[in-house]
Amino acid sequence: MTLYPGQVMKGQNPMPLTPPPNSNGDSNDSWDENKGFCESVGPTKKPQTEPVRRARKVEGGIFFPKPENAVTIAVSSRVLFRTEKEQKVFEEKGVEEYLNYQVQHENEPLAPGPAFPFVKALEAVNSQLRELYPESEELFDIVLVTYNHAHVGVRLINTINHHNLFIERFCMTGGSSPIGYLKAWHTNLYLSADAEKVQEALAEGIAAATMFMPEKQVEVSETQLRVAFDGDAVLFSDESERIFKAHGLDKFFEHERENEHTLLEHGPLKGFLEALGKLQKKFYAKGHRLNCPIRTYLVTARSAASSGIRALKTLRAWGLETDEALFLAGAPKGPMLEKIRPHIYFDDQMFHIEGAAERGTIAAHVPYGIAQMYSHRKSTNSAK
Amino acid sequence: MAVSCHGMFDLDSCNVQPDSCALPKGAAFAFIKAVQTVNQRLLGLSEKNKTLLFEVVLLGKDCEEHIKLNIFDSAKHYGLEIDKFYFCSSDNLIGTLQANHINLFLSPDKDDVYSVLKAGVPAALLYQQAEQQAINRLKVLFSGDLIGLSADSMVCLKDRGFTDVHIQNFKAAKECLREFVVRIGEMKRMFGHEGSPLHTSLMTVWGSRDVCASALKTLRGWGLDVDEAFCLAGATCGPILALLQPHIVWDNGLHNLKGVAPLLSS
Repeated sequence: MTLYPGQVMKGQNPMPLTPPPNSNGDSNDSWDENKGFCESVGPTKKPQTEPVRRARKVEGGIFFPKPENAVTIAVSSRVLFRTEKEQKVFEEKGVEEYLNYQVQHENEPLAPGPAFPFVKALEAVNSQLRELYPESEELFDIVLVTYNHAHVGVRLINTINHHNLFIERFCMTGGSSPIGYLKAWHTNLYLSADAEKVQEALAEGIAAATMFMPEKQVEVSETQLRVAFDGDAVLFSDESERIFKAHGLDKFFEHERENEHTLLEHGPLKGFLEALGKLQKKFYAKGHRLNCPIRTYLVTARSAASSGIRALKTLRAWGLETDEALFLAGAPKGPMLEKIRPHIYFDDQMFHIEGAAERGTIAAHVPYGIAQMYSHRKSTNSAK
Repeated sequence: MAVSCHGMFDLDSCNVQPDSCALPKGAAFAFIKAVQTVNQRLLGLSEKNKTLLFEVVLLGKDCEEHIKLNIFDSAKHYGLEIDKFYFCSSDNLIGTLQANHINLFLSPDKDDVYSVLKAGVPAALLYQQAEQQAINRLKVLFSGDLIGLSADSMVCLKDRGFTDVHIQNFKAAKECLREFVVRIGEMKRMFGHEGSPLHTSLMTVWGSRDVCASALKTLRGWGLDVDEAFCLAGATCGPILALLQPHIVWDNGLHNLKGVAPLLSS
């Protein structure tokens, strides 16, 4: 069910600057023989009158990693930027008015949205990876995948330029489902504001989460990417959660004790943690263990003395680790997360997400597992 | 708008006997059906739209007599609305197209498309669809890498090893494209955004996002707002094309250039 990053689906040559081409597995493709052409050219240089952008050069050529080699993060326009006003126009006045509005405001850049700090942090990690491994394609690749019509494209590109982001790849599907394209890009993580699309993606085995705007702005690190994960139904499957919901806490503990030596099944975000782990190891290999620019956290309601053991054993058996593991034994997660200040925190329960957002933590909901069937303290209306 | 179509039927794979049943469908088949849908919808909206309709012409290259008969019969058999049939030899292809004021030549054969483009006749590729797609929409894909470059910035392509001749051809191809885009834009405006039978997409393969933005604006300037846009920035186009399944691909002849690839390995 999970996608393994770096899993090469076709036998492609990972070095982009070498001359054409290896043969490609695609026989469907009418541009087959010319694909080598596509790869060996590299992007066109713009004329000199454009403002100077941050150099993304590698050995005299700008290159973008191949999707299957990079850790691909797909973000939708509504989580990367704040589009509340535009959403209102769309809902109140319909598609045509919405498109007109966007075209009229084309040169006004949009404000940063909840995923913006995360994307900035990914870029910071990328620049450090490039310094250490100039030839490598194992980088973060951020792709903008949006349901929007191509009309909005110009405004989005203007906004990306304004904020100086390194997003070169995008996909505007004009209303059709982006799930197929997510798979074509070998997406490791998909972030969207729309819970339905996220659920579709999860059903297809792509790690995905719905992002919400935190209620207050909190400073996050600009040099270290921090990602926090809940345990059950995020990294692990929801099997234990089911026992808890059905039979209560005692049964849960009993079940965990009995099954201490059985590994938990994997959950939707295990693959993403794995991808982060691979990149972390690249830093460790160059002696950056203590000040690694990627830091991962497990924040779980499990208790260290009992049910937590199974979680740790499972992670270890998978060859994964998180830098920090917080076993809260049921205590609220909010204060801990406030201290950690992750760029993104994944949890399957809206209750926790709302609690986190209240304190300014950037939280993302993973609509997976049994917890979705239970109503929450506040309204269940996930962000639009 | 006259569209000349080669590749309607799969001529290679059939053992033809006189009076045998219709030829198996070729790559252009779904395209024709989609075009017919567009025509129907246009007429349905208003009788005045007669001037906007697609007029499809079937072009057969180097066909033997009995094949010609078969083509007529098969076209009738499948209920294809083909206005005219032309048969010519491959040497005379361009002459035939020009003499008959064909606005667009379509073929699954890249070489044909390229040689026709070079001569200044608009031409585009018929995409080999994996399966017969739903035929209620005509899907056109524009390759944006050259659209996004203005005439002046095309000069910078010389750094990449393209010759003056190539650049001239690109400019000619872009002109052809413009005429087509203007007409498609007119047709598209007849329909709204929901349920339109005309679906247009833009894809830039190796241009940066600014090239893509520039292509979007250029197309808009010519009167067409595309539905979907993709900026691949060097990723392979195969998987995306396989999902998109367009009928027609306009690539300005760029990717058809053989012998160019060695020039670009730097």
